[in-house]
Amino acid sequence: MARSFGRLTLAGKILFTVIPILLVLTGGLVVLIVVGGKPIVDFLATNMWLVRFVVAATLVLLTSVPTAFLIIYMEMKVIALMNLRIGPDRVGPYGSLLSVVHGLKVLMKEDFSPTGSDRLVFTLAPVVVYMSAVMTLMVLPVAPTIFGADFNIGLLYVFAIGGLTVVGLLMAGWSSFNKYSLLGGLRSAAQVISYEIPLTLSVVGLLLLAGTMSLNQLAINQAGWFTNWYVFQQPLGALIFFIAATAEANRTPFDLTEADSEIVAGFATEYSGMRFGFFFFAEYVNVFVVSGLIVTLFFGGWNAPFPWPWPLALNIDLGSMGLGLLFAILLVPPILILALAAPFYVASSAIKWWQAVILGFVLFNLLVIVAITGWAFISWDWVAGLLWFLGKSYVFVFIFVWMRGTLPRVRIDQLMGFAWKWLLPASLLNLFVTAAALVVVHK
Amino acid sequence: MSSLPGIGIVKGMALTLRRFFEPKATIKYPEVRIDVPHKFRGRLQLLYDEYGTLKCETCFQCAQACPIECIDMGGVDTKGRYHIHWGAPETYGERREESALRRSGRPVPDQAYAHFDPIHPEALVAILERFDFDPKRMLEILEATQAEYGHLPVAALKLISQRTGAWYAMIYGTATYYRHLRFEPPAAEPLAAAAADTRASRETSFLAGLDASLAGSRPAARA
Repeated sequence: MARSFGRLTLAGKILFTVIPILLVLTGGLVVLIVVGGKPIVDFLATNMWLVRFVVAATLVLLTSVPTAFLIIYMEMKVIALMNLRIGPDRVGPYGSLLSVVHGLKVLMKEDFSPTGSDRLVFTLAPVVVYMSAVMTLMVLPVAPTIFGADFNIGLLYVFAIGGLTVVGLLMAGWSSFNKYSLLGGLRSAAQVISYEIPLTLSVVGLLLLAGTMSLNQLAINQAGWFTNWYVFQQPLGALIFFIAATAEANRTPFDLTEADSEIVAGFATEYSGMRFGFFFFAEYVNVFVVSGLIVTLFFGGWNAPFPWPWPLALNIDLGSMGLGLLFAILLVPPILILALAAPFYVASSAIKWWQAVILGFVLFNLLVIVAITGWAFISWDWVAGLLWFLGKSYVFVFIFVWMRGTLPRVRIDQLMGFAWKWLLPASLLNLFVTAAALVVVHK
Repeated sequence: MSSLPGIGIVKGMALTLRRFFEPKATIKYPEVRIDVPHKFRGRLQLLYDEYGTLKCETCFQCAQACPIECIDMGGVDTKGRYHIHWGAPETYGERREESALRRSGRPVPDQAYAHFDPIHPEALVAILERFDFDPKRMLEILEATQAEYGHLPVAALKLISQRTGAWYAMIYGTATYYRHLRFEPPAAEPLAAAAADTRASRETSFLAGLDASLAGSRPAARA
């Protein structure tokens, strides 16, 4: 036992220490609530922010990795389709589990740190990068009343935490004990800091219009028809924000920080195993964060593009059906499965009866999922809001992937020149025009 | 329009989006195996007979049948007179390069580029124009050429090949197939006939002498 523990990598040691501790703590908490009873529940009820924070942090951490998996798969598949290839199609249906398998592979790789490196900083750097990506997710309002925290300085918080990425990259470059890593780190720091300025300036006009920095309030402001979206009042700002956010998330055509085809991975040269995996995941979480931010700021957040008459509240009183409900639960699934299987069996003699039944079962499940989702969509506005938000966000994720499949990488001098000579003046122009328009309108 | 900034990006994005919906080029190999092209004949190989010599006798049938014209080959004709080849001359020359042949362990032919006399091509070009440079009327062309020049000079055959586009070996094959077409100047033929005549008369005189020397031992049945 001790020996196999000694064989683990540092990350594994931490993981295998933290998980039992967390398990014990969670069990203790449950026991405490059960035994202590009312005082603890009262305390939690009066301090809902604490519960909210813990739940939000857990959910964000839990969903960030599947999000990254999904976006990685999407990127592989979409770029492949754009290249007239098929792309991943071996693991899982249509290869959808390939990114998960990649994640497992990365976990099993040797966790190597070079001689002479600053071990502590070297280990912390991916954590900082990943956390800076994940922490911005905390303030994104994904649905009405569903958000980690509603800061009145939410947007400022996003930029501040997003800026932490630079620190992580510099830490990685510095601690690697490798001049190329250091150069890569400095290069990415120069890029990210340069684009931070137009990124921040491009939303100042928006802030003048909205009068608030709270992301939730910004989303609420854009309710109603899609003409209320800020993109129609701030088209230049939205464009600059989109471009600068692309650079901020280190995406093509601004992916010089780890231009995989021309340099040795930049700041991540010396990284391997799960530490590299964290950089990798952070990039894709960042893509989602940036997409969500664009949607929240300029494309109405979780609002539908038109006033949707929800909630429709389907009042199905299941209790009134009595014994009939039991029969329905018992009889409807098999009958529906057989009914869905029958056409396959009849239509093609190549399909055996059990294959037809499996097909029917899958179809039945799909139908049920669609029915339940549709029911939830029209019944609860937070489900509808979540779906709208995710839908819009993934449209932008698709655009990011699409751009990666199309655009070539820019040169470093073009990158810097574009930021300072074009984006910065354009964002200042946007700010002045917005301010002037506001003054004129208010007079 | 093309000077509009960003229009190139829009065009590129539109292109990739179109590609996104197009049918894909990938073949999932182990499961799906595409049919071999119907003109595929496998690997080209020269066979050896039981004595270890090449079975190939440079008949050009393979080169003639080759659907994609990938075979080029050369050799000396069966009478050992002319060097004939199939395929582009420069390729052929490269293959026949001496050191290449030595490296491959094959004999280096002496007559790789046998000299042939030049002709005055104007008459031949006129003939070819009359027959519209049509390789399908090769026999008529060759007959007309022979009527013009008296025989078929190698230079004429080469020119016909060049102008009609037919392989030299095909023309050579056509020319050797018909008995009335000749490669030698007609003046040589009466000489040959005369030589044959003198040989026959010498034979008869020799036999007559023999008969005379053996007179008596043999009945004069031959007379």
